[in-house]
Amino acid sequence: MLELRLVQGSLLKKVLESIKDLVNDANFDCSSTGFSLQAMDSSHVALVSLLLRSEGFEHYRCDRNLSMGMNLGNMSKMLKCAGNDDIITIKADDGGDTVTFMFESPTQDKIADFEMKLMDIDSEHLGIPDAEYHSIVRMPSSEFQRICKDLSTIGDTVVISVTKEGVKFSTAGDIGTANIVLRQNTTVDKPEDAIVIEMNEPVSLSFALRYMNSFTKATPLSDTVTISLSSELPVVVEYKVAEMGYIRYYLAPKIEEEEDAKP
Amino acid sequence: MGIKGLTKLLADNAPNAMKEQKFESYFGRKIAVDASMSIYQFLIVVGRTGTEMLTNEAGEVTSHLQGMFNRTIRLLEAGIKPVYVFDGKPPELKRQELAKRYSKRADATADLTGAIEAGNKEDIEKYSKRTVKVTKQHNDDCKRLLRLMGVPVVEATSEAEAQCATLCKAGKVYGVASEDMDSLTFGAPKFLRHLMDPSSRKIPVMEFDTAKILEELQLTMDQFIDLCILSGCDYCDSIRGIGGQTALKLIRQHGSIETILENINKERYQIPEEWPYNEARQLFKEPDVLTDEEQLDIKWTSPDEEGIVNFLVNENGFNIDRVTKAIEKIKSAKNKSSQGRLESFFKPVANSSAPAKRKEIPESNTKGATSKKTKGGGARKKK
Repeated sequence: MLELRLVQGSLLKKVLESIKDLVNDANFDCSSTGFSLQAMDSSHVALVSLLLRSEGFEHYRCDRNLSMGMNLGNMSKMLKCAGNDDIITIKADDGGDTVTFMFESPTQDKIADFEMKLMDIDSEHLGIPDAEYHSIVRMPSSEFQRICKDLSTIGDTVVISVTKEGVKFSTAGDIGTANIVLRQNTTVDKPEDAIVIEMNEPVSLSFALRYMNSFTKATPLSDTVTISLSSELPVVVEYKVAEMGYIRYYLAPKIEEEEDAKP
Repeated sequence: MGIKGLTKLLADNAPNAMKEQKFESYFGRKIAVDASMSIYQFLIVVGRTGTEMLTNEAGEVTSHLQGMFNRTIRLLEAGIKPVYVFDGKPPELKRQELAKRYSKRADATADLTGAIEAGNKEDIEKYSKRTVKVTKQHNDDCKRLLRLMGVPVVEATSEAEAQCATLCKAGKVYGVASEDMDSLTFGAPKFLRHLMDPSSRKIPVMEFDTAKILEELQLTMDQFIDLCILSGCDYCDSIRGIGGQTALKLIRQHGSIETILENINKERYQIPEEWPYNEARQLFKEPDVLTDEEQLDIKWTSPDEEGIVNFLVNENGFNIDRVTKAIEKIKSAKNKSSQGRLESFFKPVANSSAPAKRKEIPESNTKGATSKKTKGGGARKKK
């Protein structure tokens, strides 16, 4: 038996909008600690990891660990039927093959039940070890979205480099090149507008902008975004989900191959 | 060709071992391609209607060059690194099969002449397909073209599929692309079908995973080879009346061809008098292949522009504009850095949660569903 009641239903709507373009089908895992998802895109280049901790729900009941396979497109269709102020409750039985989404209007005068079929998805789960990152950049999420969007009109790959001077986003395409440098800036009125750069070691990595752009679909969830970079690891782009969890996107870097150097 | 009915047998009995994949998702992968099979396909498909083929001024066929050139560029553009493997001397055991094919072709040639005389277009189409033969000249042309393009070529001592499988087992390539199911019997860990199909057909690549096949069929590799021999391979006859399904049942029951032969009803099934199944088995298990590191040093290099233009345009009458454009494509494909994959950084772990749909539910599992699911203690693996 599973019953999760989320007062701020719009969060779940936003969460889904931010992953459904990257992944078609995924397993949602429920345990006593929280509601989570880990899924890769079909080419295994990007991974999304979602966690909504149980404390963030008004009511959280999960008797046994459950894994529910859902088509995210279909789930998004159903959640779009919920109002932004609605309270969303997710319900499922242990042996059942459906999940129910219940939407209650804030005034309790409208209650809607949507039942969706579950799928059997054979997905691979990757173990992501804790790592010390060489550089961590925290910046306004809207700024990051703007940079990714702008650069993708010029080229298809972004090089992110962190140095003492700041963080540089650059690209090159047929029509020319583009470089955007952000400097550390903590003297702002609102803390969420700050740009904080923690650099332990300089780092420079290349990524496909196509994926970065799909990560920025999570911008409505959080005012800030944290980008963690290490030269031997995929980049982590993290958005906090209110006080209850996070969405983390992992993206494998582009690699220059050794053989290409030879004639 | 290949193993009779193996695709269907696997689809029925090991459905999880085959996966449809997008062509695009093979970026950055090194793939061994069975060249002879591809050339044969090009000769049939590229620019042929009836008995008319693409030719150069001297009247020599160029379909294979056209096909090889364009298809290879398509692979390179997708970031795939192909290595073409050419057939060497066919093994003794294949003689019978080859003789059969030869006589079939002779029949088809006779039929074709008849059809042309009668002017029956459908028949001309049908029989001319069957008369297509890959000659040494075709092979040599393709090798020359590939080398000019900077694509590595491996000349197998014997069967190309066996050589491809060896490359794959040695970790030199990610998978083997062929249409011939033999590749699985030779033990290629990953086998790709339809990779070389034209993009216009929009057929997804079918990826076979040999380890999963064995797991799903609950057979060892030796038993799988026996199963293939019983189903019907290129190297020896099979027992009349035994197809894939029966063969699978018999192998599961008895374990090997020897035990089957001891237990089978010899009245009902006629065992061929001379049946070199053991030799065929040996051929699959220890094929005649190159394993020398030196010879298998596979490198992708820059294309020889002048050489390509000279060969295709001057010698074979290709359109110069098209060829130069194509060379540009090869060069730009080479400059692209390749996209990494998450698996090269993170390792798969077993999932701890039970699927909601499953009736049996594991003992209450204390493993939290946090982001880090490393070393899932007592985790259940999904079947």
